[in-house]
Amino acid sequence: MYYMILSILFPICTGVYLLVRRDMESRKNLLIVTGAFFVVSAVLVILTLCITGNGIFTLFSLTDRLPILFRIDEVSVVFSVMTIVVVLCAGFFSFVYMKHEEKEKRYYGYYLIVLGVLVALCFAGNLITFYLFFELLTLSSMPLVLHNGSREAIMAGLKYLFYSLSGAYMSLFGLYFLERYGNTLTFSAGGVISAEMAAQHGELLLGICFAMLIGFGVKAGMFPMHAWLPTAHPVAPAPASAVLSAVIVKAGVLAIVRVVYYIYGASFLRGSWVQYTWMILTLITVFMGSMLAYREQVLKKRLAYSTVSQLSYILFGFAVMDGGSVTGGLLHVLCHGFIKAALFLCTGGIIYMTGKTRVEQLRGIGKEMPLLMWCYTIVSLGLIGIPPTGGFISKWYLAQGTLSSGIPGFSWIGPAVLLISALLTAGYLLPLTIQGFFPGTDYDYSTLKKKEPPLIMTVPILILTVLSVEIGLFPQIFINYLLRIVEKII
Amino acid sequence: MMIMLVILIPVIAGIMVPLIPFKKRNHMEIFLEALVILNSLLVWNLLIHRPESVFTLANFTGNLSVSFKVDGMSMVFAGLVSALWPFATLYAFEYMTKEKREKVFFTFYTMTYGVTLGISLAGNLLTMYFFYELLTLVTVPLVMHTLTREAILASRKYLYYSLGGAAFAFIGLIFLIIYGSTTDFILGGVLDLEKIGNRTNVLLLIYVIAFMGFGVKAALCPFNSWLPDAGVAPTPVTALLHAVAVVKSGAFAIIRLTYFSFGAAFLKGTWAQNVVMLVVMFTIIYGCSRAVKETHIKRRLAYSTISNLSYILFGVTIMTPLGMVGALTHLVFHAVMKICSFFCAGAVMYQTDKHYVHELDGMGYKMPCVFGIFTVSALALMGVPGLAGFVSKWNLASAAVESGNKIAYGGIACLLISALLTAIYMLTIVVRAFFPVKDFDFKTLEGEKDPNWKMLVPLFVFTLFMVLFGFYSAPIVNFLADVAAGVY
Repeated sequence: MYYMILSILFPICTGVYLLVRRDMESRKNLLIVTGAFFVVSAVLVILTLCITGNGIFTLFSLTDRLPILFRIDEVSVVFSVMTIVVVLCAGFFSFVYMKHEEKEKRYYGYYLIVLGVLVALCFAGNLITFYLFFELLTLSSMPLVLHNGSREAIMAGLKYLFYSLSGAYMSLFGLYFLERYGNTLTFSAGGVISAEMAAQHGELLLGICFAMLIGFGVKAGMFPMHAWLPTAHPVAPAPASAVLSAVIVKAGVLAIVRVVYYIYGASFLRGSWVQYTWMILTLITVFMGSMLAYREQVLKKRLAYSTVSQLSYILFGFAVMDGGSVTGGLLHVLCHGFIKAALFLCTGGIIYMTGKTRVEQLRGIGKEMPLLMWCYTIVSLGLIGIPPTGGFISKWYLAQGTLSSGIPGFSWIGPAVLLISALLTAGYLLPLTIQGFFPGTDYDYSTLKKKEPPLIMTVPILILTVLSVEIGLFPQIFINYLLRIVEKII
Repeated sequence: MMIMLVILIPVIAGIMVPLIPFKKRNHMEIFLEALVILNSLLVWNLLIHRPESVFTLANFTGNLSVSFKVDGMSMVFAGLVSALWPFATLYAFEYMTKEKREKVFFTFYTMTYGVTLGISLAGNLLTMYFFYELLTLVTVPLVMHTLTREAILASRKYLYYSLGGAAFAFIGLIFLIIYGSTTDFILGGVLDLEKIGNRTNVLLLIYVIAFMGFGVKAALCPFNSWLPDAGVAPTPVTALLHAVAVVKSGAFAIIRLTYFSFGAAFLKGTWAQNVVMLVVMFTIIYGCSRAVKETHIKRRLAYSTISNLSYILFGVTIMTPLGMVGALTHLVFHAVMKICSFFCAGAVMYQTDKHYVHELDGMGYKMPCVFGIFTVSALALMGVPGLAGFVSKWNLASAAVESGNKIAYGGIACLLISALLTAIYMLTIVVRAFFPVKDFDFKTLEGEKDPNWKMLVPLFVFTLFMVLFGFYSAPIVNFLADVAAGVY
């Protein structure tokens, strides 16, 4: 059991240690120390997942009724594995990327804290523990956003901070009520709201649920509180935006999964106005995100909008509350995590080697760094949803689940919006590939230089690419595991 | 007798300060600090070995008397004040080295201690009213201390506001004498329903008037403007008096008025409750919004105090035992949090003479202890779990949910909006201090450093308590629940 605490506290403590200690003598020492911290943290998490059973571990109580407790279930496993892979890949990627940024020690310090907090979020066993680390996540990831210290970055950091906090407080509003009305805040598959409570306070509970959805939805970039995402992601250093976009926003998704399926229970919400409104919001976000991404020329910003849209695919899957759609949503958590991290790291590689940030500047980029652009292309196909990549499988389940859910109207509007958005995804991701590999006849080949980034940058990208394809090639392992979750909560 | 002693020791000590010809400044420091600590120990001794009986000093006509009693509420407020005072005095010694007319300052500063204890230990409404007026009079010289034009205007404003408020409260006092069976404090109220007959509405109106009257000291919205202005006083005064002793006397008086004189049962569910609750909710939002706008650090914190005091009053206006628990929790926890952040601001002003938020760029690297502690107090005020503010807000909101009052639900929303605004006005300072813009020139901050131990010790102690209360609040919250249930 103590592994659980150790795997949470180790990254946090080492992060704090890096923050407070004085500067290291050389950059190399810093990287060796940080690298060791990364590896140990990862090993600890993996060990914890292997060793610890399904038990509840109570650390202590804030007040009589608010215990801080941890517990590992299947959902924790899915999210924590994704977290650890992405954070580690992006972490090692930073070793090269951060060379041209200042204050590296501070960066790695907060990076490690974020890692610990994310693991804690995955392991949290009740809503109050989750909320505690949710706030800490916002506070500790803000320095990553404003890292480069320009006025724009600081403003973006503050915007991120205040958006996230307002979301957190909205959900805290719900927490106050749930703690009184539900008997417990401990997560339990199928929900903890008793029938008696549901009958007595039904309308109020639904309203609260909606407030919590919007509140936690801020982190997951759900309309109408998505605006921080395209501001915050582009100004952060590329590996940090990879973590933000692939993992930190998933904390919002995890929160919603926990609230909807582990506190309220699907049966309580199915068919209510909350479900319908939520579906409408996610569909708006899917379409709007893709559309805005399509119109955006700054590559990182384009990817940030793409995150807005893709996250709402996941949320739509959960909103439909059908076995298939939820499976699709959970699978897309993994796929999108790997793919979006890979995309941001590719962008990071491009920025690091060429300093170019806008799409139209990147003509012929495929000739300069072919390996990187191949990875980019493969994961792009995954995000669009072309077989045999993971994205195809997850979207298939999403669409098929929605169609079979039989919700009037949405059962066909949903898949239609998803398809249109897939088309737009192709529209905003593939031009880079096309321009990159086929720069046109007027492209000046004489100035062409190979600019492939160093190995420590390409290897993390390759790993993420392989993983995203892997899900598509051998989906059955993943699907079987996810079905175990779905059986319990639907 | 002990009660009189703890009230008189600080008052006499204060008067002695200008009379004794101290050879060195050190001697005065030791003299005062020793007496203050001694007095605090006596207070704690008194609270632990609580005399059950009422101590009557003088008896006027009928049921009018000056009497003292140590009940649960007294234990909370007297305990709080006596725990904070020694630290604040220690801090003041260091801070006042840069100000003139120290002796006058310490005279009134120490006398205030006794008067505040008088308010908390008062056994009936008249006694409390007496010390309440006295508190205004002894603190006016402190506000005026710097003798600038600004300070004199501020103190005059403070005087008028407080006396005016007390006058309104006096109306309430008279009605309670007439319609109550006694003016002693009894949990549940002292109103005699037979005497009232069909004049319920009149009494409710009087309650609202008295609430507003005492609300002046608690900086309730239309009457709050004295508090930010009084920030011209030296920081120990702003921190201890205008974040704890004086303003919380207002809140304390309102708790007495609501739960011990009129009685929650009489007021609950009436229009009077709705009116005061709405005023309180408005003040919560108003205080924070003004704090966001303000760029002078101490004024910003003063507006934050206005909003946080109304958190306490919000708990009071819920008018359930749980509401009282919430109010008392915030009364104690906010004291620690706000005195801590004020002391940080004071340390910055003392060390660097910087008064405005925009001057703080990069200061976090030069004064890591002060700004580290300021960050903790900011997070605590926001209500991050694991720090004191979360627990008190949780108790307040939980009480509001439990009461089932629809307006109180709105109050929860106000608390949360205010939490967001708190984050804005506190964290912008933190971000400035620790994350200056890229090309910031650290040479301009050459020579700035953390203050010495006299300032840091109080800061560290308060930080320790913020964390302790955040992680392990059960004993103190249970004690407060007992107080609200009338065990003591």
